Amino acid sequence: MHENLTPEVGSSAPWDAQPYSIKRHGLNITNCDSEPVRTPGCIQAHGALLVLRPSDLSVLQASENTQAILGHEPRELLGHSVATVVGDERAARLRSILATEPTDRNPIYAFTLPANGQLVALDATLHTIDGAALLEFEAATQSQPETGTATGSVPAAPGRRHDPDYYSFIKKSVARLQTADTVKNFCQALADEVRLLSGLDRVMIYKLHADNHGEVFAESRRSDLDPWLGLHYPAEDIPKPARDIFAKTWIRPVPDIQGALAEMTPLVNPDTGKPVDMTFCALRGVSVMYTEYLQNMGVSAGLTMSLRRDSMLWGLIACHHYSGPHHVPYELRAACEFLAQVASLQHRAIEDRENAAYRLRLDEVNQQLLSIAAQTDSLASMTDGEPSLLGAMHAGGAALFHRDRWWLVGQTPTELQLQALGHWLVARLEGGSVASSVYATHALAADYPAGAAFADVASGVLAAPLSRSGQNLMMWFRPEVQKTVNWGGNPRDKPQVTGPHGPRLTPRRSFELFSESVHLQSTPWLQVEIDAVARLRALIMELVIVRAERLSGLNADLARSNEELDAFAYVASHDLKEPLRGIYKYAQQMMEATPANEDEKRKLDGLMRLTLRMDSLLDSLLHFSRVGREELTLENVDMNEVLAEAIEMVGSRTDDGRTQIVAPRALPSAMCDRVRVREVLVNLLSNAIKYNDKDSKCVEVGYVGAQEASLRSAFPAEAKGQTVYYVRDNGIGIASRHFDQVFKMFKRLHGREDFGGGTGAGLTIVRKLVERHRGQVWLESIAGEGSTFFFTLSAADDN
Amino acid sequence: MTTSTPSTFAAPIVVVEDSDEDFDTLREVAAAVGVTRAIHRAVSGGDCLAMLRGEGRGDGDGHLPLLPALILMDLNSHGIDGREALVHIKTDARLKKVPVVVLTTSANPKDVAFCYQAGANAYHVKPVRHDQYLLLLRSLMHYWLDSVMLDATLVKVD
Repeated sequence: MHENLTPEVGSSAPWDAQPYSIKRHGLNITNCDSEPVRTPGCIQAHGALLVLRPSDLSVLQASENTQAILGHEPRELLGHSVATVVGDERAARLRSILATEPTDRNPIYAFTLPANGQLVALDATLHTIDGAALLEFEAATQSQPETGTATGSVPAAPGRRHDPDYYSFIKKSVARLQTADTVKNFCQALADEVRLLSGLDRVMIYKLHADNHGEVFAESRRSDLDPWLGLHYPAEDIPKPARDIFAKTWIRPVPDIQGALAEMTPLVNPDTGKPVDMTFCALRGVSVMYTEYLQNMGVSAGLTMSLRRDSMLWGLIACHHYSGPHHVPYELRAACEFLAQVASLQHRAIEDRENAAYRLRLDEVNQQLLSIAAQTDSLASMTDGEPSLLGAMHAGGAALFHRDRWWLVGQTPTELQLQALGHWLVARLEGGSVASSVYATHALAADYPAGAAFADVASGVLAAPLSRSGQNLMMWFRPEVQKTVNWGGNPRDKPQVTGPHGPRLTPRRSFELFSESVHLQSTPWLQVEIDAVARLRALIMELVIVRAERLSGLNADLARSNEELDAFAYVASHDLKEPLRGIYKYAQQMMEATPANEDEKRKLDGLMRLTLRMDSLLDSLLHFSRVGREELTLENVDMNEVLAEAIEMVGSRTDDGRTQIVAPRALPSAMCDRVRVREVLVNLLSNAIKYNDKDSKCVEVGYVGAQEASLRSAFPAEAKGQTVYYVRDNGIGIASRHFDQVFKMFKRLHGREDFGGGTGAGLTIVRKLVERHRGQVWLESIAGEGSTFFFTLSAADDN
Repeated sequence: MTTSTPSTFAAPIVVVEDSDEDFDTLREVAAAVGVTRAIHRAVSGGDCLAMLRGEGRGDGDGHLPLLPALILMDLNSHGIDGREALVHIKTDARLKKVPVVVLTTSANPKDVAFCYQAGANAYHVKPVRHDQYLLLLRSLMHYWLDSVMLDATLVKVD
């Protein structure tokens, strides 16, 4: 960033050869990440810094402004004992602190130097680092009169100078923090309490996201200020060296953004030959980049504290003041710092509490989803029921692939996009590149470039397969961050304030950068959400397994009943037929042996005829039972060949010289069972010939194309878009009230012996055969003029 | 083959038949066409196997002195049925040369396919009409006992 700055700085910086000082080099900085913020060579000039040799407390380095703050020029101090400034008694106090207190990288209050003539009272703090002792002096009181803002509410403790009762104030603050039930509420309370304590105009809880970009997560502000709550800033706004320092120190005061800098004399510690490490100095000189950035936002004073979680930097308490310099004295700062530390310790507990509540809510909805799915025996209720998959999950949409189709709720990609995403996900999950069974991303396009097309609704995806084969899948979607950020108070809409060094480092630039950094990204999925999905997945799979077990139980029952049907078929064929054959035999023998009178002869004839009829009924029954059970052998069949075979099989009936079977045009081929479709045609052809009393019997076999079939209103809806075959005759026809009955088992519309007799099973078997092909059979007929039987064969569509 | 007394030296016929009527008919036809071979009846597939292995009852003396020249096999019977017996016969090195003609009421294509797969030499469905049944039996006996040339060991005296 900031590439528009002095391009002549290349691989070697000017301070490589000499010690760095903000005053000398600060404007040459081109990259915040390379700025030596720990050794700035300068302090903020509102205080003074002395670097002492711990062994004899002699002054090794002094800030150049000691005359104004301490009443001595640096040259009067260098090489002399610190007692020159603070007196022997306080020097002894410093010696005692160094000997007994944990001063290493830990500033400790030493004493307050009373006001003296032109000089104000000064708080002195001491810490050691790299073998040097750093003694800082700052004004012990507010730099300006009370503004009558929030600090006024801090109760004054009687007895000590102007000291308010920080202890009771902080006790109250901590109590309020502990009642918060969400991290959001917690941070809001923290912002409010810090503003009350510090008296600063705006206090923000600035949350650092995983990619280090920041968000104003909570805010307490003077009522006339614009809210910045919810605004996001790029990672570059808090550069890495600054983040590193905040991981170590708790507080960073900048009481006057426009305040002067005081350089150290000399710039390096003569004992060590190194510049002094000011990481832990409250007075540490402020980067020009930083002050410029704050100035561009109209900030006149700032105070920043770190918020940590499990010792990692979680965010900052960033305080801005807009009405001139604002010095927060050491003791008040210490109270603020204490609040930041308490908040850091509490943070984890609050977050756990919030997660636990969210987890409970997610699990509760998941249980409801499951019990509804179990009751309705379908997962579809998870998208169109209440609650849905979006019931508890913070997501914009959800999708479920179940029973060969998508079920959607909320904002989702299109089904076509989901189809492709689903294939990719299954391949990825199977490929083992994802260790867990759940896939979660907040930047889908990075893993799956095609996802960029629907980033607006699904930059974030949380997905779980519901079966090993990936046939079932559930997913949640989160929109791109840019769509979700609350842009209220967007500084884009504000007149741009330009700093002394041009338009760089402005909030406007920050927002542009931010948009780039979160492009194609959603807010990340929480671990509690990923865990809840993993649990829901396990529960659903359990449900599916239970259902599969029940199904396999049903299948076993079905197989058993099929076997029983087979057994029945043998009973019918053998055990029923055998006595039938015996009856016939004896009837015939009686007929032959005793030449009976006409009456007896007629009765014996009847006996034999009935026996034969029963035999053919049994045969039809057997055949029908086989038609329903035997597997189809599907292949691409030339229907013209099948028709030729069928005509040959009914040939004997066409030998009467008055029957003509015609096919006006070649039939399209079909995916079907050749033998069974031939049987369909044989049955329909023989009926067409049999039930025909015309002198010239005419049978036509043809088809209606799929497109035309869709337009025929008389055709059933199921036949739309399918090839419809037909057999048409000029026979006796069927009254429309009998249309249904002709397909019924053993239902005959005519006398047993009329039209050559028959069992009445032919059309029943035709319908069964067609239905086995998932087709339909129906008829159109006019009594006395002829009938047309139509049928479809849709087996091909399912294979 | 023109004498009416059963020849003890000619290979017999084994008939697996659980229907008395049908067995009577068969014997009548055999007599009518002049079959002189012994006709042994088994009432089940299992009975037939026992007979062929020399451990069974058979009709008279309870065992077969010779392998039969023909087995007429009904498929449905109690115990070990005709299908199972067929499989045993056709997988037995000694027995499998004996022609097995299936004669059953079942027209189930599954049965037909099964029997040919197992090595049946012919498959006939018993017609209901008695006159047709008589015709079938006559042609069967003529064909399998007079026309077909059998394995020499089946007609020769051991």
